[in-house]
Amino acid sequence: MAYIKRLLAAAFAMAVAMGAYPALADDGDIVVGFATAASGFMEAYDKPAQDAAMIRIDEINAAGGLLGKKIKVVSADTKSDRAEGAKAGLSVIDQGAKLVVVSCDYDFGAPAALAAEDAGLVSFFLCAESVKAGIQGVGPHSFSASVLAAVQGATMSEWAFKEKKAKTFYRLLDTWTEYNKGICDGFDWMMPKLEAQGAKLVGQDTFKNDDASIAAQITRIKALPQEPDAIMLCTMMPGAVSAIKQIRAAGINSMILNGSGVDGSYWLSAVPDLSNFYTPVQGSIYGDDPNPDVQKFNVVYKKKTGTDPSSQYVYPGYSMIDVWAKAVERAKTTDADAVVAELEKMKAEPTLFGPRTFTHELHHQNQARYLIVETKNGKPGVVGYWTISEPIPLDALVKK
Amino acid sequence: MTTVTAPAVPAELAAPRKPPRFALARRTVMTPILLSLLIVVIACLTVMTGSRPFNQAVIDVFVRVTLVVGLYIFIGNSGVLSFGHIGFTCLGAYAAAWLTISPMMKKSSLPGLPGWLLETKLPYWESAIFAALFAGVAALIFGKVLMRLSGIAASIATFAVLAMINTIYSNWENVTGATSSVVGIPIVRVIWPYVIAAVVSIFIAWAHAISRAGLALRAARDEPTAAAASGIDIPKERLVAFTISGAVMGLGGAMMAHSIGVVTPDTFYLGLTFITLSMLVVGGMSSLSGAVIGVVLLSALIQALRWLEAGVPIGSDVFALPKGLQEIALGVIMIVILALRPAGLIGNREITLFRRNRNQ
Repeated sequence: MAYIKRLLAAAFAMAVAMGAYPALADDGDIVVGFATAASGFMEAYDKPAQDAAMIRIDEINAAGGLLGKKIKVVSADTKSDRAEGAKAGLSVIDQGAKLVVVSCDYDFGAPAALAAEDAGLVSFFLCAESVKAGIQGVGPHSFSASVLAAVQGATMSEWAFKEKKAKTFYRLLDTWTEYNKGICDGFDWMMPKLEAQGAKLVGQDTFKNDDASIAAQITRIKALPQEPDAIMLCTMMPGAVSAIKQIRAAGINSMILNGSGVDGSYWLSAVPDLSNFYTPVQGSIYGDDPNPDVQKFNVVYKKKTGTDPSSQYVYPGYSMIDVWAKAVERAKTTDADAVVAELEKMKAEPTLFGPRTFTHELHHQNQARYLIVETKNGKPGVVGYWTISEPIPLDALVKK
Repeated sequence: MTTVTAPAVPAELAAPRKPPRFALARRTVMTPILLSLLIVVIACLTVMTGSRPFNQAVIDVFVRVTLVVGLYIFIGNSGVLSFGHIGFTCLGAYAAAWLTISPMMKKSSLPGLPGWLLETKLPYWESAIFAALFAGVAALIFGKVLMRLSGIAASIATFAVLAMINTIYSNWENVTGATSSVVGIPIVRVIWPYVIAAVVSIFIAWAHAISRAGLALRAARDEPTAAAASGIDIPKERLVAFTISGAVMGLGGAMMAHSIGVVTPDTFYLGLTFITLSMLVVGGMSSLSGAVIGVVLLSALIQALRWLEAGVPIGSDVFALPKGLQEIALGVIMIVILALRPAGLIGNREITLFRRNRNQ
């Protein structure tokens, strides 16, 4: 009995403490809730994008706030765990959040986004690139701040064909994640259009991110009568480095086309003097973005966080607050349905990192302006930009 | 001359004595009742606070109570450590997903399901029952083979079952969605269904423990040779416990699916296996009270540490532990508990209103 008594006392004390804890929002503020990872492996993705979002929030507050009210931020740690994610979502909702910002990855952000959807609130994935991060996988009030992975594959193939005159393509897919498959889905959708104009898919192959060796795949590329002009490499870190290294070590010098997942210079020392290597990015972290405002943003980011942006995945956080705040201003309320209606009216809405469009079918970007970064002798730099000629239709994105 | 006379066995002991019906049940029923009361009291307190994240945290605790009680049914009574039970949780969770997601969503995300299943949409409580049955049948089939093993061989074999289920569910694209999240499971945020699941599993565990099969299995756990000599078919009694515990794990899986609304195969793997096992071991492996109290206590501890991590205002200052300390502190506390009480907090006793009751 002593156990139960002690236990009940503990449970009661805990309950009282927890009940008293949630700080109630001041009526004078608009609350934005971050149910993101502040610890665990997702923190590496969530933290930079969240910092960028904070920069935009500070700007808005400095300019007089939103609807005449200050934006107040509350946050809860998901610990990179799904069950904790649901709790984190509910916790920021209880603290009065009108916008619930959730983790970068669909799998880890979904529980919190579903909690927001349940409560009838707008939710935004910080940088998820799966079509599920939105209406398809959460519900009508959910959005993603980034661009679909498929757009990256489509952009790179069309750009290589039109600008680099690449004629023969090879498709190499790492089947590890949805993101990888998404890049190649975009490539697969674009390829028939390019083939009608004279391009050719000369082969395709798959590997797994943790394969130590892709020698078999490389042998098949080498066995082609001619080295392909371009290899569409649908993969991500950490396996990408090893794959790239092996392709170059085998003496294959074709252009390598990638998704945004390999952006960043942190890994380049592993493949010395890498050249002919192309990545699509929403903004450049290398100090050469054609838009001076992006460079200003990079400076502010460094001042706030003490480091330069590590990859382009910092940027969507900023665009997210930007488009949401605009929708709130236009709707003149933070009411979810009114804000969603305003967001869905956005057609090529200019943001610092390219135009953004949302429709009642898709809360994600199926067409976007991408800067193309070329890595030459181990030095990355912007060489141009590209927007795919037509948006990727929904049925190419959602598998039937 | 001395004659040694052995005292004759008194007649009333020599004659087969039949205890009155339900004597054992009457003597032990206080344990599940008290444990259920504990669950209900926690639920009532939670509802009174009105805090949604706390409500969700307590729902999590009740799901774990269900899972750990499921583990206890097999591990506690048979003494065989099983690493594979979370596999049955996975089966239950996916079965619940198959039965409750709206047919339209299923057709696009899980097209490989058989036609009748594609058209089915059940309320969550019906699906939970079917999920438990499904997991129970799977446990029966696996158990038929595994229960012939004992000791470490059985433990490793159950681990192989977990790995097998995980691999199948992470790769069967059309039926389980492979490694992608399966979404669209109706979310239940009311606490009472979870209370009912936990209480039902506690009563199932109690009923099994005092049943003929449960008593025989515990005899086999403590004295396998003597038990076998007395005519106990050990593999059979283990199979009974394995099947029942598989079904309870399946029920826990279904409840877990409804509490988060998303299932992925990696949720039901090593992480969940070890946290549930350590809750059972810390509470007391061979006691039902230990299973329940282990979960409640460790969960309360985790929650308190998380709360300290988030920061507690003391006067004008905020006192906060460094992030990530929760996991370390939890580990240290578990080591201390096990060092001081190697058999777990409760040992092999059960809580009752009367002192005389021990592990029957």
